[in-house]
Amino acid sequence: MTKTSEPILKIKDIAKIYPGEGKSTTVLDHISFDVYKEFLCIVGPSGCGKSTLLRIIDGLDKPTSGQVLFHGQPITSPSPKVGVIFQTFALIPWKTVLGNVLMAISSSSIQKEEQLKIAQKYIQDVGLEGFESSYPKELSGGMKQRVGIARALALQPEVLLMDEPFSSLDALTAENLRREVVDIWRDPAYPTGSVLMVTHNVQEAVEMADRVIVLSARPAKIVDDVKIDLERPRSPRDPVLYDLADRIISKIS
Amino acid sequence: MHVSRPSLRKRVASSSAGRTVSFFTKIFLSGIAAVAIVALIIELLTGGLSPNCKSNPLDPLCIPGYAVRTLTRMTIAYAFALGFALTYGIATAMSHRASHVLLPLLDIFQSVPVLGVVPVVFLIILGTGSNPPVFNQEVASIILIFTAMAWAPTFGVIAGINAIPTDIKEAAHAYGMHGARYLRQIVLPAVFPELVWSSILAWGGGWYLIPVEEHLSFGQPPNQTQVDLPGIGRFIALAALKADLGLALFGLIVLVGIILAIDRLIWKPLGVRAEKYKYETVAAPRTTATRQSSVVAGVRRYEDRLVSPVLTFFKSERSYAARVLEITRLKRIRHITERLRFPERIGRIPLWGRILSYAIFVGLVILGLIVTIMSRSQSIESGISLLATDVTAFELIAITLLSLSRLVIAYVIALSWTLGAGILIARSQRLSRLLVPIFDIGQSIPATALFPLVVILLVDPFKNSPYLGFTLNLASVLLILTGMQWYLLFNIVGAVNGVPNDILEATAAYRVRGRRFVKEILIPASFPAILIGSIQAWGGGWNALIVSESIGANVSVPGLGSFLVQASSREPALGAVEIYASLLVMTATVLIINRLVWRRLLRKADRYKFEA
Repeated sequence: MTKTSEPILKIKDIAKIYPGEGKSTTVLDHISFDVYKEFLCIVGPSGCGKSTLLRIIDGLDKPTSGQVLFHGQPITSPSPKVGVIFQTFALIPWKTVLGNVLMAISSSSIQKEEQLKIAQKYIQDVGLEGFESSYPKELSGGMKQRVGIARALALQPEVLLMDEPFSSLDALTAENLRREVVDIWRDPAYPTGSVLMVTHNVQEAVEMADRVIVLSARPAKIVDDVKIDLERPRSPRDPVLYDLADRIISKIS
Repeated sequence: MHVSRPSLRKRVASSSAGRTVSFFTKIFLSGIAAVAIVALIIELLTGGLSPNCKSNPLDPLCIPGYAVRTLTRMTIAYAFALGFALTYGIATAMSHRASHVLLPLLDIFQSVPVLGVVPVVFLIILGTGSNPPVFNQEVASIILIFTAMAWAPTFGVIAGINAIPTDIKEAAHAYGMHGARYLRQIVLPAVFPELVWSSILAWGGGWYLIPVEEHLSFGQPPNQTQVDLPGIGRFIALAALKADLGLALFGLIVLVGIILAIDRLIWKPLGVRAEKYKYETVAAPRTTATRQSSVVAGVRRYEDRLVSPVLTFFKSERSYAARVLEITRLKRIRHITERLRFPERIGRIPLWGRILSYAIFVGLVILGLIVTIMSRSQSIESGISLLATDVTAFELIAITLLSLSRLVIAYVIALSWTLGAGILIARSQRLSRLLVPIFDIGQSIPATALFPLVVILLVDPFKNSPYLGFTLNLASVLLILTGMQWYLLFNIVGAVNGVPNDILEATAAYRVRGRRFVKEILIPASFPAILIGSIQAWGGGWNALIVSESIGANVSVPGLGSFLVQASSREPALGAVEIYASLLVMTATVLIINRLVWRRLLRKADRYKFEA
């Protein structure tokens, strides 16, 4: 996964300020970076505005100033080429697994039968075969997030945005899912080039990412941009990872 | 371990829970005391009800005195209702065995349309004399208001106790809290938020009766019993009898003013405060925080423009409405969850409990019937034989169906407009700021108070026209509608507002918009709320039905409601039997519809709930 010269996403001078009584709160303080064909993690202390940044990148939230460019075009509303995975899974309780996955693609121009095939394929790919007609309530946390992943993949997105995707899961489930997500991203059969993941778990970031952008506490500024040039597949218990994580943590605090 | 234990004990004993109660009680009692003092001052300043008010009861100067009388009746009835709710609720929630009977019995009681009880209570307490003593009238009136107020707080108490998390119960148990201490430090604080919330409903129920029960008559002229209690309700009723639109409107405005004042000065501040005493789940705050900030920011943006006092009032109403919406949203969700659990719990109650509860209810009805007839010095046999010859079962079924069709029409109208309006309100901040205060005032008008207006506008002008039948039916449906719509509207608004932020973001991220968003997200998300709203709306509808079908003397449409009202002016024994018969039919219909329609749907609604 080498960098191509053209960035897929260009984050240009993004600022987010919430007006308040008397003084306003600056959440994001002029943030700029480029996203290439890579696995990019954004880490920072909790409450620093990482999730807000991700929402702005998807067009779910508007920046106070600045711009997000996707292949040179400004993003103002959610794009069909960007998939999102949520911390809280955000599954519709009255839709089945299949229904939840279909939701992502049903506004596209693809024929109904084709949609069904795509949805079923990705449900299989995340290992939920046989659970198509189950409701989210009947699934474990890990399985729910698998539905969330299948839903994002079904869009066949070029960019995948993940907002703390593993922090509502237990440690063991999270470790398995991390490996699977990296495997899926590395599999050339999937069109997804860039993954942008927000997390407060530095260990998780260095384990998964090609590059880690480190944000400061509120108002968030980029304090570091670390390249992780390690062979894949990586072991989460590799001592080099611990060193890297320590260095990043010292930057945050 | 041994060293630390006493200190832990101490900490639990002096925990905030204990202080919470006393603090809360203080505010609560001072609220009631404030009303009482203001009432007393007004009464003293105006020198009580002057003789002038007796000869000329429509003198607007008598209004303060009337307001005091009405408020006093309400407050006394409310005190009894609170006592009942705490006793019944705690007994139900604390004793498993007792709950087997108490819970289904409560369910039956709350299915009895309160307005249907009006003639029963008056007949029992007032007897046959044409001029019953004022004291008896007052007692009957307070009992009636009590029956309108008691059920909601009782459910509130049960819900509050059920909501105590297991870990808190276990902790209390582990630190040796039992009996009175457990009750005071754990149960009461847990119950208070629910109690405040349900008290608002209870007062609403009480106000509903006021325009009806202060001026009533039973029986035919020689044997007529006249209820005549000075109060706001009587003022409106008398103005309507004189077809004086101006005075009726004036009375209505005063009534709504009092209701709104009490709401703003007592219930809403208490409600806001009570929110703090709730057990919260960890996941909740995030979404509410972002929402609240946007609402607050929206309100603030208007702040600069508002200078004149009038506008400032509207501004506070508006921000207040936003806040109320915020709070009621949470409450409705909890309310909905509790109501959804209810059929399940009823289903788990053993058969003997259910049978016993029905037996108790039927026993009470028979007892009531006997007492009623005895008080009118008649024999029961004569009443029943009169019923058998005079009214056929077929007739009862026919008028029940007629009434049902009116209810269905009103319900369909109510559901269609409220669903549309609810979705609009919830989707547009601007519309919500404009409409919610209006609807909030609208819902605080007791539907019964509108009856005189409808009579003056829709019935009186058509007295001699061939269209009278049509306008009467129209008036009836309209009045039932006013008794139904607000429950639906506010439940739907609450539900649509309650769709969690992450779901909204996911649908936005996957571009589910417009019609699809309404169809796939908003309507299913409001499904449980629509059901709860429907149950409440049908309760309100049955109540309204009783007055709406019989609008004036000789001006009525055939139905269960008009049958009941006419029964109270019939030959005493027959009348009593007929009143009980129609009450039983009504309660049975409510219960059957609940079982066949709402409970079944409620069981399905579980899927449409968002996980906490």
